[in-house]
Amino acid sequence: MFAAQLALNALALGAAYALVAIGFVLVLNATTAVNFGHGDTVVAGGFLAVALATLMPGELAVPGLVLLPAILALMALFGALMSWLVYLPIRDRPPVTTFITTIAFGIIIANGVNALFGGAPRSAPTLIGGGGFSAGELFLSRQSVAIVGVSAVLIAGLALLLNRTQLGRQLRACAQDPEMAQAVGIHLTRMTVITFALAAALAGAAGLLLANQFFVTPSDGGVLMLKAYIAVTIGGWGSLRGAVAGALLIAAFEVAVASQISQPVAEGLLYVTLFIVLFFRPQGLFGEPVGQRA
Amino acid sequence: MPTPSSLLALIGVACGAFALTNAASAQSKPVTIPVLVPLTGFLSLEGTSQRNGADLALREVADDSVRYDVSDTATSPEVAVNALERAMTGDNVVAVVAPMLGTQMLALVPLADEFKVPLVTVSGTAKITELGSPNVYRFFPGDVVVKQAHARYAVEELGIKKPAVVFQTTAYGQSGRVELTRNLQALGSPPVIEEAIDVSVKDMLPVLSKVRAAGADALLLHLHAGSTALVIKQARAAGINLPIIAGSAMHQPQTAALLEPSELAGVCAESGSSPISGGNPKIDDFAKRYRAAFDSEPDAFALGQYDAVRMILAAVNAGARTPDAIRQALANNSHDGLAMRYRSDGKGNMAHDAVIICYDGAGRTPNIVKRYENVTGAR
Amino acid sequence: MNYRAGTVPLLAIIAVAIAAYAVLFASSYDLRVLTVSGIYVILVLGYQFIFGHAGALSLAQGAFFGMGAYVTGILGSQLGWQFTATFPLSILVPALLAATIALPVLRLESHYFALATLALDQGLLLIAINWEAVTGGANGLPGVPGIVIFDFAVPRGLALLAFVWALAAGAAALAWWVMHGLYGLSFTVMRETPLAAGALGIDRAALRFVAFVLSAAYGGAAGALFVHTIRVISPEVLGFAIMVTVLTMTVAGGRTQIVGAIIGAVLLIHLPEWFRGLEQYYLVAVGVALLLVILFAPDGAAAYLGRRTVKSQNNPQPNITPPDLCPARTSGLKITGLVKNYGGVRALAGVDLNVAPGEIVGLIGPNGSGKTTLANLLTGLDRPDSGCIILRDKDITGLPAHRIARLGIGRTFQTPQLAPSLHLVDAVAAAHAGDGDVDLATARADARAILAGLGLTTRADQLCRNQPHGVRRSVDLAAALARRPSVIVLDEPAAGLTQDEATTLAAVLRTYAANGAAVLVIDHDMTFLLPLAQRLVCLDAGHVIAQGVPDEVVGEPAVIAAYFGAAVTTP
Repeated sequence: MFAAQLALNALALGAAYALVAIGFVLVLNATTAVNFGHGDTVVAGGFLAVALATLMPGELAVPGLVLLPAILALMALFGALMSWLVYLPIRDRPPVTTFITTIAFGIIIANGVNALFGGAPRSAPTLIGGGGFSAGELFLSRQSVAIVGVSAVLIAGLALLLNRTQLGRQLRACAQDPEMAQAVGIHLTRMTVITFALAAALAGAAGLLLANQFFVTPSDGGVLMLKAYIAVTIGGWGSLRGAVAGALLIAAFEVAVASQISQPVAEGLLYVTLFIVLFFRPQGLFGEPVGQRA
Repeated sequence: MPTPSSLLALIGVACGAFALTNAASAQSKPVTIPVLVPLTGFLSLEGTSQRNGADLALREVADDSVRYDVSDTATSPEVAVNALERAMTGDNVVAVVAPMLGTQMLALVPLADEFKVPLVTVSGTAKITELGSPNVYRFFPGDVVVKQAHARYAVEELGIKKPAVVFQTTAYGQSGRVELTRNLQALGSPPVIEEAIDVSVKDMLPVLSKVRAAGADALLLHLHAGSTALVIKQARAAGINLPIIAGSAMHQPQTAALLEPSELAGVCAESGSSPISGGNPKIDDFAKRYRAAFDSEPDAFALGQYDAVRMILAAVNAGARTPDAIRQALANNSHDGLAMRYRSDGKGNMAHDAVIICYDGAGRTPNIVKRYENVTGAR
Repeated sequence: MNYRAGTVPLLAIIAVAIAAYAVLFASSYDLRVLTVSGIYVILVLGYQFIFGHAGALSLAQGAFFGMGAYVTGILGSQLGWQFTATFPLSILVPALLAATIALPVLRLESHYFALATLALDQGLLLIAINWEAVTGGANGLPGVPGIVIFDFAVPRGLALLAFVWALAAGAAALAWWVMHGLYGLSFTVMRETPLAAGALGIDRAALRFVAFVLSAAYGGAAGALFVHTIRVISPEVLGFAIMVTVLTMTVAGGRTQIVGAIIGAVLLIHLPEWFRGLEQYYLVAVGVALLLVILFAPDGAAAYLGRRTVKSQNNPQPNITPPDLCPARTSGLKITGLVKNYGGVRALAGVDLNVAPGEIVGLIGPNGSGKTTLANLLTGLDRPDSGCIILRDKDITGLPAHRIARLGIGRTFQTPQLAPSLHLVDAVAAAHAGDGDVDLATARADARAILAGLGLTTRADQLCRNQPHGVRRSVDLAAALARRPSVIVLDEPAAGLTQDEATTLAAVLRTYAANGAAVLVIDHDMTFLLPLAQRLVCLDAGHVIAQGVPDEVVGEPAVIAAYFGAAVTTP
């Protein structure tokens, strides 16, 4: 029975990681560059949720779900700003340059948040209230269910946007062949800004989802970034579906090993497994749909 | 290293005389007390408390006879060492408020010995006072003290037979765990399971499932604030209602703020003090001033650091104007601080009392349920 | 490299400035910060091998640094070993680790390589934290001794500073020595045009291996010095923060220049110290400063210093006599039953083809008929599924590209592969990099001569990145010819050339064939091929459908059918 409980928790954590990983892949596909500030963007989203919740009049216990649209919108703006600062000025440079600018941006976010909010862990409101449902020994918290639900809706929404709308087709065209996309009249800069905005909005949502059950601290970004990086690599560089699968796999792996052996061993084995996966399948578990990118 | 008290007193008198003669020459010159604490990184919550405590004490100096400035040490020894080197370029530095991160202290101590300047800190790491340095003064009960209180409360008061120990893979966690386990063994209730977790771990259920499987009858935590709150929250959510006796992070108001009062029911913790628990007018006054100055709740680290700086200032007022004189005062005098009476055990351990606080399930303000005074008999 | 000679006075100025500052003005705090900067110079110089020269985004530099630090830290504090014993070990252990993991890790590309190296660092960090009995756990181990060399203890302050910077100078000199010649050129070619590297006989895997091991050795040395300076060892030395710092130093200073390593290290170690007074905001200021540096100097500070010195270098060239190009050895090429499938598509379906010494064979066929695939199989860019390629009685089927190139097959590419940052003369000189017994001056003299033969004397000292298409083709050919291959494969050499350029090309190829080389020309352009080739082979859908005298092949019905819908000749 406890195993089921473990699986539920892992699913909630994995779902939030998936949102993080997807935002990471979106930027990766659009720019061929790793956004190393992505984890810190999630942290920014978490603290935005904390700040919005305290701004609400009279400490009304506003459910987090009400805050979600505001967070998505504000973080999208934040993402657009980020693209102007860290990517567009150096878009002609090798991707590793973006690596550094996003690291710098991450340093600014993490330490700005630390200076503004203090170093203490903070908790955002629950999405749809606390408590939960019991079934025998199994306890299903509302928050876990809501995390999985909101993640699923956001991921499905993104899939619809990318596959069923004109904007989505343009975004994908830019990711696959920027030169060709530009040749057929797609505004490349606009698409890049939109991609950053989408990625940051998803990161913000992930921040909100994580910040209740798992709290948020200014120094959380690095680990989130690492998890997203591993998820995307295992899933196959550039694949959205792979990123989701990778995130869920990592969460499941960690829970399984940590509950059987120990947490430090789980972490160590994750790296060993990563090595083995890369050795036998250098293109990731699920292949590499958009070809090798340098 | 036990020293006959008569000898100590003799040295004290001699040094006092030395300090007085020395003070005459340096009287007019202001002294500098740099504050080097972690304000960024994973220890910034505790480091900020340290800064605030020192700051509050230093603000109380009316004239400009004492100067201070604050530097961040982040979390690496390198940054701390650079910060101390930089601070020592200041005028007439007589003592340094040093970071509570044990790793940084281990790097700073040899340097302080070279500079011959005393460091005052609230670090709990046992090792820092075992290096044989005359320049380390710890104003928070060290692991040796608090972990004894921690274990004794669990075993003697709560009758715990099969404790589970969960500790953090940081300097704080690893050195405290050694003391906690040693004390539990000495009390005849060795841990049935010991689990290490990294500060970045968010999902505590795997660890809790192992604790459950081991058949533990209590959860003894030695974790930083975030992990402490995560374990408690997720244990309660998973229906694990074992008594929880946490490390000093749980006494911090910011940790309690992460949890619902109902989740805090049955949670106790060790600490050096608990300034928000009330009952002592002087501490209440400290808490009031602290809130007014920093718009946040004080914790034991702030109070310990406040007491430490007050002891230095008392020595300065008594005429100590050199690092030597301050060191002598710290080594030989005793100081009635707000949290407790401080006196060096000969190695620089100044604090020998610990408290156990518990939450009643109705609010986020803990009550002090037990005091352990002069735990190691060193005072 | 004489194109960077202008930075030598600059290095001297920097050295004098730092020395003057250290001796005259620096407090003990300034000295410490400057000492740590010197340590980071060594670390960055090491990182430049793998990240700058080899162009691989390694995130293991912090791991090697930490490993060197732990070797010295543990042996020094626990066993009381001295610098003279621990320092070599601190270099050796990370280098051995790098050599060991090179096999699985170095075959990974780009981000996979980055992540694998990051995983290495995180794994070591985990061990350092949790193996308390040996490493002291998260607390680490105090009591690491200072630097003692045969009973002489290097004191803190100026002496330690001088010692560290002397080692940094030594490290810089070694880095210069490794990279200054043809060997350094081969790194540039490998990094900027990996395809051309193989065709020029440059062994990419070997270069990456050397760079990786050197970066580890430098990292270990820096780690050892660091721990001697800080006097405690703790897991922070393995933290990702150090890796980020090194990466930033290298990008901000310069990825391959020695002066860049110095600028980057000194700047980024001092930056946080300057902002220290901002208390909890100072790291925000560091982040902003970092962002500004990258936005305004994305190629690194050294690039701006170097640019000016290059411009002044335009000495007129003496008259050069073009060499009489002869293949090193003459040999024919024999291909039998070559098959290659890509997924379900059969690119080559059993091709037989011979090219005799002195013969020019034209290979034609519609788009997708397998021409470029054949060239790629011949030159080792891809492996055939079955079939044989025989060169001088030796089966070379499936050998790696650089081996095939060294055995005497040269090639040019459909899109010329030239390292943009190289000058024409060096792009050609790099062809000798795989030879080992040729020095840079000789290689350059030969390159100038070959370029002169192609009418490019005046452009020899210009950068490849600015050249028009025709010039790029000629340089590509010059590089291939510089190796004196016994067989040369040209993939659409005339595409995009002017009439004059095409005529020169044809003349060069005729001469080269007359001197005993086997020449295989892949092209669409019949006005170019028909007068040049002695024999024509036509491919269609992976089969040879016709071969023989050019005029006859062009007239064959099968060939016309294959080209159905496509023009047989391009205007």
